[in-house]
Amino acid sequence: MDDMTTTAVPAASTTEVVGFDQVTKTYGTVRAVDGLSLRLHPGETVALLGPNGAGKSTTLDLLLGLKQPDAGTVSVFGTGPREAIVAGRVGAMLQSGGLMDDVTVAELVKLSCSLHPRPYKAADVMARAGIAQIADRKVNKLSGGQAQRVRFALATAGDSDLIILDEPTTGMDVSARQAFWATMREQADQGRTVLFATHYLEEADAIADRVLVLHRGRLLADGTAAEIKARAGARRIAFDLEGAVDAAALRALPFLTGIDVSGQTVRIQSSDADATVHALYGLGLYPRNLEVAGLGLEQAFVAITEAEEAKQSC
Amino acid sequence: MLNTFGTRALIKLELTRALRNKKFLFFSVLYPAVLFLIIAGNAGNAKIDGTGLTVATYMMVSMASFGALTAVLMGNSERIAKERESGWVRQLRLTPLPGRGYVLAKTASAAVVSLPSIVVVFLVAAAVKDVRLDAWQWLALTGIIWAGSLVFAALGVAIGYLASGDAVRPITMIVYFGLSILGGLWMPTTTFPRFLQDIAKWLPTHAYAALGRAIEESRAPHTTDIAVLAVYFVLFAGGAAWLYRKDTLKA
Repeated sequence: MDDMTTTAVPAASTTEVVGFDQVTKTYGTVRAVDGLSLRLHPGETVALLGPNGAGKSTTLDLLLGLKQPDAGTVSVFGTGPREAIVAGRVGAMLQSGGLMDDVTVAELVKLSCSLHPRPYKAADVMARAGIAQIADRKVNKLSGGQAQRVRFALATAGDSDLIILDEPTTGMDVSARQAFWATMREQADQGRTVLFATHYLEEADAIADRVLVLHRGRLLADGTAAEIKARAGARRIAFDLEGAVDAAALRALPFLTGIDVSGQTVRIQSSDADATVHALYGLGLYPRNLEVAGLGLEQAFVAITEAEEAKQSC
Repeated sequence: MLNTFGTRALIKLELTRALRNKKFLFFSVLYPAVLFLIIAGNAGNAKIDGTGLTVATYMMVSMASFGALTAVLMGNSERIAKERESGWVRQLRLTPLPGRGYVLAKTASAAVVSLPSIVVVFLVAAAVKDVRLDAWQWLALTGIIWAGSLVFAALGVAIGYLASGDAVRPITMIVYFGLSILGGLWMPTTTFPRFLQDIAKWLPTHAYAALGRAIEESRAPHTTDIAVLAVYFVLFAGGAAWLYRKDTLKA
């Protein structure tokens, strides 16, 4: 960290892909994005996670210059979003992005290649996006999943440094989805920064090095999938007790973030399972059928957003 | 350099698409010529009131103007409104294509279709109704009708950014038929009642066809007609630019 402060050039300008500083966007009385600050760094694969209405789409629109923030600044590669797009540094597919009617897939992909300052060959782009077989089909005759692949092809028509994908696998079946993420991983492996919004939590868990949890336009959590899980009470401990269950004593266990007692069965969420189990034995109890399991990202996500909602309603 | 290259690629694709659309081609390229034959078909050498032109010569300019109007107005307004709605306009904003490139490509491809719609009417008029003009007149007519259609191309873009969804077709139709009929493209305005004639002479379509007729009569066009057309052009182009900017901020 120290060497950064001694370099003459500010580190941010050379290593920062995306910078949001206190960005706010309001629609009427609704704050779609509320004082959002975040940084993306080169080569990261980042998932933007959040329930509907969390502000994901607005965040991406601001990032791409489709909307202007009411307050705060958005920079992409140290410039404004539009400048970065014109320089060919950003490739993006949006859910709301339509396609040109009455032209073939190949014609549309060729157009995208012509528009990019550092284009790839249209044939290669189509092969990579898995749409070579439908090259001659009219764009308006495609299935939802095929249209998504065409959008992906448009987003990857040239050598861009940042790829933005908004719910890219919507309308795809499981195998198509897996094939898609394999394609996308190639993009990431070439050193590109990839930012994708998704509501498929297993995708964020499996693919992203970093997960941003957005809720009501604010950043709730920012870390690896493992860290997000840890934040929500990473481990679930379940066991049975014989005799009367002293719920009050159990509630006083260290690192406990949640408890559910039903009959003889106790389920605990803990941010440090080792310490919690150790203390459990310390109480002189003898738990049977002890199970310690990781919490899925989905549950972690629900836990974080619920905790936030509870905080706001107090 | 790059931007013009991208815009050119989009113009090419827009054109490919327009030429593939048989219905659009029929209505903009063939229909005006067919209408010309229906209207001027049985007319003799009688002159139209207030002009030294035969019905065929008179209607040739009307129908060439009508064809150009169809090509530039009908295609663009509806396409733009639909593509704004489908999100294609948004998708293009994620590319290095300059914002104006989209409108430019639409206008350019419409202009390419409007040229044959003018020429086909001329060919039919010359071949079937023996309309004879000097070479300079044919060239000047083609040039002025083609260039003048830009006024209506701007109007088409403005409607495309103004209306959306289900509203765009009826609005386009009302404007299209209103301008065609009231402007005297289908029948000479001299056949209109007085109050309609007073309205007609301030319409851009009236001034548009009047420029063509001035060439047929080998005289200089009225400055009023040029002024009317110029004012409409500024109005439509300004309106289109304003609506475009509004749409860009909103999207």
